[in-house]
Amino acid sequence: MKLNKLMTAVAIATLSTTVLTANAASNYADFPITVKDYAGDKKSSISYGGQIARHVLHTSLMKLSKTGNGAANPELLAQMQAYFSGKETGRAILSPASQEGFTIAQTNVDELSKGKNLAGKTYKGAVAGWPGNKTGVEVLEFLIEKAASSDAGFDYINGMDYPQLISKFAMGAIFYNQAVDNYLDEKLAADVKPNDKPYKDGAPYTGKEHVWDEAFGYFGAPINAAGLDANEAYSIAKGKKEIFAKADLNANGKIDLDTEMLYAHAYYAAGADKAGKSNYLNEITQAFVDGRQIITDAKGEKLSDDQRSQLLAKADFIKTNWELVIAEAAFKYAGSVYSDALKLQAGVEENTDVKADFKKYIHHWGELKGFSMALQTGGKDLGEFSVKLNRLIGFSPVLLGNTQVTGLDDKGNYVQSSSISLNEFALHMLKVQKALADRYPLKARLNDQSEKLAALAEKLGSGKSTEND
Amino acid sequence: MDSFFQQYWSDLTSLFSNSQQRLYWGYLVCAIIIAALYSLKKQPKQLKASISNALGLPHWLSRSARADYQLIIINKAIYLLCNPILIGKLSIATLIFELMHQWLGQRPVESDIPSWIIISAFTAFIFIFDDFARFYTHKLMHQIPWLWEFHKTHHSATTLTPLTVLRTHPVEGLLFAIRSAFVQGISIGVFVFLFADKVDLYTVLKVNVLVFIFNVAGANLRHSHISIRYYRAIENIFISPAQHHIHHSTAPRHFNKNYGAILAIWDKCFNCHCYSEDKPLSFGLSKNQNGNEQSLQKLYLAAFVNSYKIIKAQLGGCPRKD
Repeated sequence: MKLNKLMTAVAIATLSTTVLTANAASNYADFPITVKDYAGDKKSSISYGGQIARHVLHTSLMKLSKTGNGAANPELLAQMQAYFSGKETGRAILSPASQEGFTIAQTNVDELSKGKNLAGKTYKGAVAGWPGNKTGVEVLEFLIEKAASSDAGFDYINGMDYPQLISKFAMGAIFYNQAVDNYLDEKLAADVKPNDKPYKDGAPYTGKEHVWDEAFGYFGAPINAAGLDANEAYSIAKGKKEIFAKADLNANGKIDLDTEMLYAHAYYAAGADKAGKSNYLNEITQAFVDGRQIITDAKGEKLSDDQRSQLLAKADFIKTNWELVIAEAAFKYAGSVYSDALKLQAGVEENTDVKADFKKYIHHWGELKGFSMALQTGGKDLGEFSVKLNRLIGFSPVLLGNTQVTGLDDKGNYVQSSSISLNEFALHMLKVQKALADRYPLKARLNDQSEKLAALAEKLGSGKSTEND
Repeated sequence: MDSFFQQYWSDLTSLFSNSQQRLYWGYLVCAIIIAALYSLKKQPKQLKASISNALGLPHWLSRSARADYQLIIINKAIYLLCNPILIGKLSIATLIFELMHQWLGQRPVESDIPSWIIISAFTAFIFIFDDFARFYTHKLMHQIPWLWEFHKTHHSATTLTPLTVLRTHPVEGLLFAIRSAFVQGISIGVFVFLFADKVDLYTVLKVNVLVFIFNVAGANLRHSHISIRYYRAIENIFISPAQHHIHHSTAPRHFNKNYGAILAIWDKCFNCHCYSEDKPLSFGLSKNQNGNEQSLQKLYLAAFVNSYKIIKAQLGGCPRKD
């Protein structure tokens, strides 16, 4: 009997430890306060509300950018600028918004963090992929201005889909740039934001804890994303009511935007992972959780050399895979533009109505362009690769009269010049896919237009090549 | 270095374990069974003797066969070293795929043709194209003097065993690899351009179904001591083992005949077709072939020296001295 009790106790203890360990290992949550002599009443050291506020500023800005009526619209422009560069209180969260069976807890940006904007955190370097020699901030300001007078986000004359261009570029120029070129870069240096001091006076988190949290916040994953299935994660971002019960981690009947929602590149990681060939969302989130655990384990002391090198290894893993997520998205949309361009060319030659195909084409090009520019905001000099990418993709897609945007005039209007055919532009997209695949060890490779070539080459084998008859 | 040896050993053993190779054990077993049945037909009720004849152990121990083994072992290492610098079929397929966009100006977006027709067409096309390329390259190896010097390594075999299929000078082996890359690369590039994802290959044991049929139907008997003949009507379409023996014959009337690998139609078209004969043949470069022809030095180096002399003579405009 005693033995039975002993065995039961051991089993329960083992099970509880396993559950606790698994929980600690997979959720970005419940990290205790390690700041020495903390006098406040907080129980957790996690804080990245400012980053989530910026995520909803971005999603709301994107929503607004789809509402132009095709004419100059100062009111809409002012509204968009408020989300991009304003800091005023009272800005509503336009997206994500509650829908049937999927209630969102917060409705106002201030509920997440006050006084935040996007412009202050946008990439300040030059953006070679966009005409006009503009900085990242200037490119977004330009796109916002154009979107305000667009036809529901579209400019059919110049082949622009502004919501896509704004959103995809902003994700890189703000979230990716801040995380990989700032928080996971110089802010991990030993003497910057040290772990033996609070981030700022009275804060419940150390310098390093908060730096790491901010990078995680920019990734845009819910706290349980390390163990979340890609399809489920995708459904959460889409607000599907079927996933609500699983998404509502604290079972309060609402989706908390700071802990239970998926944004930006975390969403695109899940998008790539849905194909079953990659696991970016889980692996990147797990690396964030592991890194945070390393910092927590330092218990408010400076990180030792060993701890710091472990942390840097996690940061490298995150940076590398985050870049891959963006490259995967660019690869996918290059494949889409390829198919769209061929379909469009066929439609033009057959003299059919191509309006819907053209809209789809410029929509996909906008995604491709945005992601390709985002890829160049990570603080790395991509050299010849970025030149190649920018030239192949162009400043606009090739338009129906075989013209393309080649620059801006002194008033900021697009200048078009004669260019290649749609068919040749499709070929450019193949080269974009090849350039991306040559540079990055892509796993998902969605819409791979050369996949069949490689698959058949593999299938044919090389058995007969040296036989002598 | 370790990985080189691992890869080398893997390449060598896969000659017999990989169903994409002519020497795959399954095809060798098929060849032995066919050879035994053929012998049994010629010597009814003598099963043991027929099996013994089919196996032909003395042939496997001949000087010529031993030279085959040496060449195979050395060549594998050479191919492994040269492989990274050879143009691959995927590169060619990609190039063709891209060039077709430029040449044709329009890619068919979607095809209404049923998949099975496209797959059958691709399977047949690559089989026929590859067979023609093999025929034509083979013909050139005989007709262009400096290439013949390299092909002589194969023809210096005085006994034929299935392994003779790999008795090749490495220069010739590399030419064959390039030929194969072009055939496959062009076929893939063209078909994927035209039919996109619908293109596929009908296979059995990972081999083109038509090549598989050829392999199980005794392909390895082409290089063997068993001279199986087909009916003349069939020999007009398919090369029988006995017809390939004619190709290796030392009789002058058989020179430059039957270049074909699987199909005989190419030989018919180019007037180099010859039916099999029910006469014993001797194999090699000539009836009075020197035993020295089986030395590694002769097999590897003579081709370089002789082809250099030929090319030099041709460039210099001087008549060649044999």
